[in-house]
Amino acid sequence: MKKLSVVVAGTGQIRDVEIQSGTTAGDILHQLNLSDYLLSKGPNEPFFAAAESVYDKVRDGEKIFASTKAEVGITVCAA
Amino acid sequence: MRRIKDLGTRHAPKSIRELLSRVVRGHAPTTQVERRPLAYWQEHGWIHSGNRYTGSYHTPYGAFQGWIEEQRSGHADFYLYNPSNEIRSHSHWTCFQHRGSDWYLVHMAKQPKDVSSGIMTIERLIKEAYET
Repeated sequence: MKKLSVVVAGTGQIRDVEIQSGTTAGDILHQLNLSDYLLSKGPNEPFFAAAESVYDKVRDGEKIFASTKAEVGITVCAA
Repeated sequence: MRRIKDLGTRHAPKSIRELLSRVVRGHAPTTQVERRPLAYWQEHGWIHSGNRYTGSYHTPYGAFQGWIEEQRSGHADFYLYNPSNEIRSHSHWTCFQHRGSDWYLVHMAKQPKDVSSGIMTIERLIKEAYET
């Protein structure tokens, strides 16, 4: 088991979770009722895919971010 | 025949004496430090005044000056000052609209639901511009 602190970027609210091996980003977001969010270790790291296992990519006690989906672009500009 | 030579006594190093005295005294009560829930924009030094946020987009390649205007509807416009050549060469450069005095509006095809998520999106874009 690993402990994680999920910081909701917009509010700064911190949600503590404990995850088992094989827990995916989607599992965490679903459990925290953050369905429209994406998880990452910060803006300098890529987002975790929903089906991606988070367990092996985080350290025990690490802080990760949940932010809402956004894309830079205009209609003719692919995101 | 004596195999051991007595060299006398000396004081243990201070760090060891402190450790031993702590064991004898016992630990002091644990102080729980409260975490401050800070939004990403606050944690990264943005200043909020009225419907405006001013600060910088932080990336491994530097901090880039910006400001954000939040509309009553919740929609936010994100601005970047004087984008670097790397940003101007990025495939998303067409999404930057010049608004005068070297300020550029970063157009969002999908709006973030909060200012912090928008800041993180632009920081990601800038990082990507420097790495491609």
